[in-house]
Formats: sequence, structure tokens, C-alpha cells
Amino acid sequence: MNNDIVLNTLRFIGLLLLQFFVMDQILFLGYINPMVYILFIVLYPMSNKRWTLLFLSFALGIIIDTYQDTGGAHAAAAVTLTYVRPFLLKLVFGESYLMRNVKVMESSLDRIALIIGLSIVVHHLVYYSLIIFNVVQVLEILKLTLVVGIATFFVSFVLTVLFSKKASL
Amino acid sequence: MQNIINFLIKYRNLLLYLFLMILSVAFTVQSHSHHRNMFIHSTGNLTSSMLKSRSDVYSYFHLSERNKVLQRENAVLRMQLLAAGDTLLGEETTRIFLDTVPYRIMPARVIKNDFHKRDNYITIDIGTNQGIKNDMGVIAANGIVGLIDKAGPKYARVISVLNSNMSLNAQIKGTSTIGSLVWTGKDPYVMNLIDVPRLAKVKKGDTIITGLQSTSFPPDIMIGTVKKVALIDTGSRYDIEVKLFNDLTDLGYVNVIKMRDERARKRVDTLIVGDE
Repeated sequence: MNNDIVLNTLRFIGLLLLQFFVMDQILFLGYINPMVYILFIVLYPMSNKRWTLLFLSFALGIIIDTYQDTGGAHAAAAVTLTYVRPFLLKLVFGESYLMRNVKVMESSLDRIALIIGLSIVVHHLVYYSLIIFNVVQVLEILKLTLVVGIATFFVSFVLTVLFSKKASL
Repeated sequence: MQNIINFLIKYRNLLLYLFLMILSVAFTVQSHSHHRNMFIHSTGNLTSSMLKSRSDVYSYFHLSERNKVLQRENAVLRMQLLAAGDTLLGEETTRIFLDTVPYRIMPARVIKNDFHKRDNYITIDIGTNQGIKNDMGVIAANGIVGLIDKAGPKYARVISVLNSNMSLNAQIKGTSTIGSLVWTGKDPYVMNLIDVPRLAKVKKGDTIITGLQSTSFPPDIMIGTVKKVALIDTGSRYDIEVKLFNDLTDLGYVNVIKMRDERARKRVDTLIVGDE
């Protein structure tokens, strides 16, 4: 339990710094910045209380909103992802994921890919809907979700596999 | 009572989620309107010093380009100075730098620059301590950049012209035709000049400059060239695509313009009496 707190604190700070110093400077093709910080929410221990993660993801989002001047779009997207996470986990790991004490980092590659992919869809959809904030530009929202989503997926997946304890490929 | 407490306990996650969601959506909605973004902004001390240290690292990658831009700007300024020196006599050349100049220019470094969002903001490293106030104009070597949107003590946020809330007064050079310059949110090199009447004489390649109506910019600051002209609204108005002179995706240093007569002009413009 104590180990979990240390690990997650490090992950929170580490991902925030990674996002700030590296990811937000990539600007691939002029506008694609992977939003790698959502890994914190994806990889958070499943058995922990949901409301702690709600607060943590809100804090994470607001910090990113502060320096990106996006109002509260990151926070809204992160909080929404946290709220739907149990449903996504149920979808990927089956009904009894809580009993079996599943850990995302220690599961198989296809499941890691699936849970990251689903989380990205939820997060990016909410984020870009709030950023563009115009129903007429649905196509733009979907396009950005897809294109930036692929970039986020690529970076997040590589990072997760790199740090996963099961070094199996 | 018991029921209410049970209900609260049962749905605590949902309620917490809704609360946080409403809070962040409120912040977002607020951020979509100019000058109302009060809480979440990048001019605080901690955020700005983080942005500054990031910019310190990344600025090394662009040193040679920045040098070239500064050299070119210096050359242009030197030419203007020589031209001005020609028309002035003796001692008067030095007076150019006295208090009588209508505009003061303050240099600043860009520590954060966005151009890939719909509402873009730039953060610069000078603030109210250096005399920065809201609504001052910001220009770079080749033309306009934006307006000061929120000035903190040491840092200030600039609302970039690449922002859906921005609308600037602009003029076609050589004529007195004016229009509003807006950004559609697609291309960071192109803006649109709208509300230009049908009778205006405009053609491809014309230069667009800042208009006389602006209280933030001096007149005749370069904006861009006309790229495409199209009649809209059944031919009653023009929609003109303007290619910007400034590369807003690559900003190193900018200049903030302080107008000497700003208050007087605003007072005349709005005819507010007893303001002071």
C-alpha cells in the first residue's frame, strides 16, 4: 500500500514533467502533441477509492490547463475518463477484475493496448469538444481526436511496455 | 433525512464527478471569452517560472534563426533611422528619443507560444512591474502579434491574433477601406479580413496594415498581403484572405507598444465624462 503511494506520486510528477518539457514541445506536423499524462489515470491501482482518483485527475488536469491556457478542458476530460474508467476496465478485463486484483502493467499486451485506446477515445473526445466548443465543427473534433489519439496511443503504449514488469514481447 | 444521507453516500462518486465536471466546464466556458478568464491562466509566478525554464532550454535550439531575424530587423531600423536623419537638422536627431514620442516600445521574450489550438495565448516575461497594462499592442519583427490580455506582476499573457475571440481593426494600404481581421482557426499563416464593403477597391497582393481606429496599435503596422478575394452574402461584402507577414509559429522576441495618448483617445472615443 505504501509502495503504491510512492509509485503513484512519482508517476504523477514524472508524467507531468514529461508532458511539460517534452510532449508539449513536439508539435509533430505543426499541431500534434501527445497527451501522455492520461497514463496516470489508466495505470492507477484499480482497488483504490474512486473519489481519490477523481480529485487527483482534476488536480492533474488543472495544472496542465494552467500552463496551456485552456481554461478547464484538460481537467474536464481527465475527470470524465476517471469516472468511466470502471466501465472500460470491466469491458477489457471482465466483470471480476476487482476480485482478481488485476494490474494493467502486468497484463497482456493486447489488453494494455485496448484499455489505453479506449481511454484515449473518451479523453480526447471530451477534450476537443470543449476546446473547439462548436457543434458545427464535429468533423474537426473527430479528426483531432483520431490524429492526436494515434500519437498519444503510440507514445503511451511504448512507455507502458517499456516500464512494465513483465519484460515479454 | 436518513434517506438523503444514504443517497449522498450511494452516489458520492457521481456527485463528486458532476461537481468537478461542472467546475472545469465553467472554467472552459469562461476561457472562451476575452478578458473573463480569471482563475486558470499562465501568468502566475510558479507556472511562469516553469514556462521560463522550459523556454530557456528550448531557446538554444533556435539561436541562429533568432539572430538572423534580429539582424534583419536591425538593418530595417537602421535604414529607417537614416531616412529620418536625412529630414532632421543637427541636434534634433537626438530628440527622437525624448518623451515626445507618441509610442514607447518595450522588448519582451516569449516564454510560451501556442498556435495549434483555436484560442491561442502567448506568455511573455514582462508584466505590470515594467509598466505593462491590459490591451497594449504586441508586435514582432514583421508585424502584429496580439494584445495584452492579462498582466501579472512579472509576466503577462498575450491574446494572439490566432484566437477566435480576436477581432482587429485593419486597413488596406493606400486606401481608407477598413475591415475586421479575424482568424478562422485553421491555418496559422492566414487570417480573414471581413466586413469590407463591395465598393472597396481590393486586389490580390495588396498590403494590409493596422487602421487608425485602433487604440492599441499605431497606424501602418504591417499585417500581411491579400491572398484571395471573394464576395460573400450575395455579393454585398468581401471576405479577404490575408497571408500574414509574421510567422507566428516561430516567435522569439516581441515588442509591447505603449501609447502616450491612449487614455485621452479612449475618452474621446467613448465620450465617458468624469472618468478621472
